[in-house]
Amino acid sequence: MPSTSMALTPGLASFLRSLKTNPIDTSIDNLISLLKRRQIRHSRSCATATAYLLLRVISACRTSDAAKLIERVQSVGRRLVAAQPKEMVVGNIVRRVLGLIRDEAEDDREADFNLSEASESQPQTPRALDGSDRGSSRPPLSQPAPISMFSLLSHPEPETSLPGTPASASPSGRLLGHVQSKDVRAEVLEGVNEIIDELGQVDDQIAAYALDHIHSNEIILTHTSSTTVQKFLLKAAAKRKFTVIHAESYPNNHEATHATVSGNSTGDEEILSTESFQKPLIALGITVILIPDSAVFALMSRVNKVILGTHSVLANGGLVASAGTRVIARAAKVHQTPVVVVSGVYKLSPVYPFDFDSLIEYGDSSNVIGYEDGDLVDQIDVQNPLYDYVPAELIDLYITNLGGHAPSYLYRIVSDHYRKEDISF
Amino acid sequence: MASTTPAPSESAKPFDIVATYNELLRSDPDLTMPIAAIEALVLLLTHSPSSTISETLDLLEKSTAHLKKSIPNPIGLSAGTDLFQRYLITTLQRPGQLGPAGDFNAIRAHLLSNGRLFIRRAKESRDKIAAFGRGFVRDGSTVLTNGGSRVVASLLQKAADDKGGPSAVRFRVIYVLSPAKDSSAEPEGMETVRALRAKGVPVATIPESAVAYSLGKADIVIVGAEGVVENGGIVSRMGTYQIGLLAKAMGKPFYAVAESHKFVRLYPLGQYDLPIEQRVIDFNTEEDITDGHKPQSVAHSSDVVDFTPPHLISALITDSGVLTPSAVSEELIKIWF
Repeated sequence: MPSTSMALTPGLASFLRSLKTNPIDTSIDNLISLLKRRQIRHSRSCATATAYLLLRVISACRTSDAAKLIERVQSVGRRLVAAQPKEMVVGNIVRRVLGLIRDEAEDDREADFNLSEASESQPQTPRALDGSDRGSSRPPLSQPAPISMFSLLSHPEPETSLPGTPASASPSGRLLGHVQSKDVRAEVLEGVNEIIDELGQVDDQIAAYALDHIHSNEIILTHTSSTTVQKFLLKAAAKRKFTVIHAESYPNNHEATHATVSGNSTGDEEILSTESFQKPLIALGITVILIPDSAVFALMSRVNKVILGTHSVLANGGLVASAGTRVIARAAKVHQTPVVVVSGVYKLSPVYPFDFDSLIEYGDSSNVIGYEDGDLVDQIDVQNPLYDYVPAELIDLYITNLGGHAPSYLYRIVSDHYRKEDISF
Repeated sequence: MASTTPAPSESAKPFDIVATYNELLRSDPDLTMPIAAIEALVLLLTHSPSSTISETLDLLEKSTAHLKKSIPNPIGLSAGTDLFQRYLITTLQRPGQLGPAGDFNAIRAHLLSNGRLFIRRAKESRDKIAAFGRGFVRDGSTVLTNGGSRVVASLLQKAADDKGGPSAVRFRVIYVLSPAKDSSAEPEGMETVRALRAKGVPVATIPESAVAYSLGKADIVIVGAEGVVENGGIVSRMGTYQIGLLAKAMGKPFYAVAESHKFVRLYPLGQYDLPIEQRVIDFNTEEDITDGHKPQSVAHSSDVVDFTPPHLISALITDSGVLTPSAVSEELIKIWF
């Protein structure tokens, strides 16, 4: 069975299978075309595919030189991001991997430096000193910032003056080249595997916070068939009784939503491959009310809490989610209903949304009006945006696998997860 | 240039930090207040032969206090003096050649020899901001801005350059001009207006009273700042607050542009909580015909500032990236604690 369906619909499963056998370059091209054709689409599928591909790229890259490794990952990453710039998780995963390599290389260099402290050559000293001091005085998470304010006054070496800018990639790369260490690659591979594990566990980790947020007899409104939200609700449903109002998100996701609500998963959704065995909420005795999107405002006055899934989260606390999300968030704002967004940290992108319009993807307009209405199709312009940009002020709380955060705090998580020099790789 | 200016004053009398500071600001129109303050302190160190750490820190503290007292609006410069002091202390505490174990003269020499470098870096950070901020100016957009901020000017000019020549320029600027100190001089910001027009950017100049009227035509608001305070709000020229309020009311994004050396450790709770005295609201029982209603006690109308609270600011464009207002406190906490 899998072989036939795989041949018919290329997607995440077929890609992961082919990854083991195909040569690297074929795999890269394969993923690029899958991304371009939107045959891999959900955030997590894209993230998983990217992580596996990078795992393969790194393991095939037979070098112990971190700089070369970074270069290689960057070049692959750039091609993937160019293939589907609106799928921001791809870039996020690439940045995470780049950060991993840099961390490992730096750890290594520091260890190296500490061993041969006395006999260190002159040009390397200031930077290495700087690095070891930062490491000892405070946790590594917060290292870039003190420099950013002191950068004005700091020692005139170019390496120390510009640690946070993209321009420093080459000097640090040169320094990284000093290190001839064997296990950088192994450590990085381990790290990438951790990212992959994280992608697998993220929904469960988020669901662990469910009981803190969903109380008995509450009325929860949600939207789309997001598995993260479903797991979140299911976790709470195991202990508590509440009511779920589910907006169907016509026209792009209503079938999947209906299937989620009724539990009759058709199984063609790649992301539901494992989750399709999941019990629907109704099986746990939860009252689920399926409503058309137009009824959201009318029902909002009864809703205690809105729980939303998302496509990606931006550094300013805004988010890009399925079309219709903004309407719901806005309605919730009017009724002063708390809006909670559940999202894995991997969806958190360091990209600042300069131009919101460019983040919105447009989908198949035949979902809105079919070609059987031929006359209409000729005369009107039909648009089917797949996503909405929701500004930060409409969101009250983000729940990630790290816990709950205010939208204004997200920048901090961004700076914890991505290195500054990788933001525009 | 900057490092040579105090030479005449030096021969006559002991080093006068206030005069040096004013001289520095006068001599280089591109210099910001915090940088001028840092420069003045560096020059002070040059002129005073202190040889111990505590002596130096004490001298710095006294001069800073003196400087702050003598300047009507010390918010901007206190960012510079604080940064300098923290830098010195942090460097001295750090192990290494510049630390306590090392030679105190080394750090002194480093500071003294790099006066120029600080200024250059400060100007470079403006370019860096322009590079970050460029992304905000989109094709076909209209930017509303005010005042004579050099960072905003460089950002807009960079954006204009970017689009490649007069023919391809695709954004417009609405420039809010406040009346000049005296009616004969041209209002501050005219220089930027001229420079932008020379690059082919259509610029409209409006008076402050026309902001609400014009905001409907603008897509984004970009303003400069004199200081960025701990809660992420900005201290900026009078009139910025009302633009912020109007932008919020109209749902237009409001961006503040500032170098990170302008972050200042203040937590104002409102307009009247700033540690400066500006008699903008001057109640009178008698009509004073000769003065009109101009508050003459205020030195220059362009010197008065107001405070724009963080909830009006969409983002701060700084040389360390695009920050949310709440990120400012963290940057400050990192240098102080």
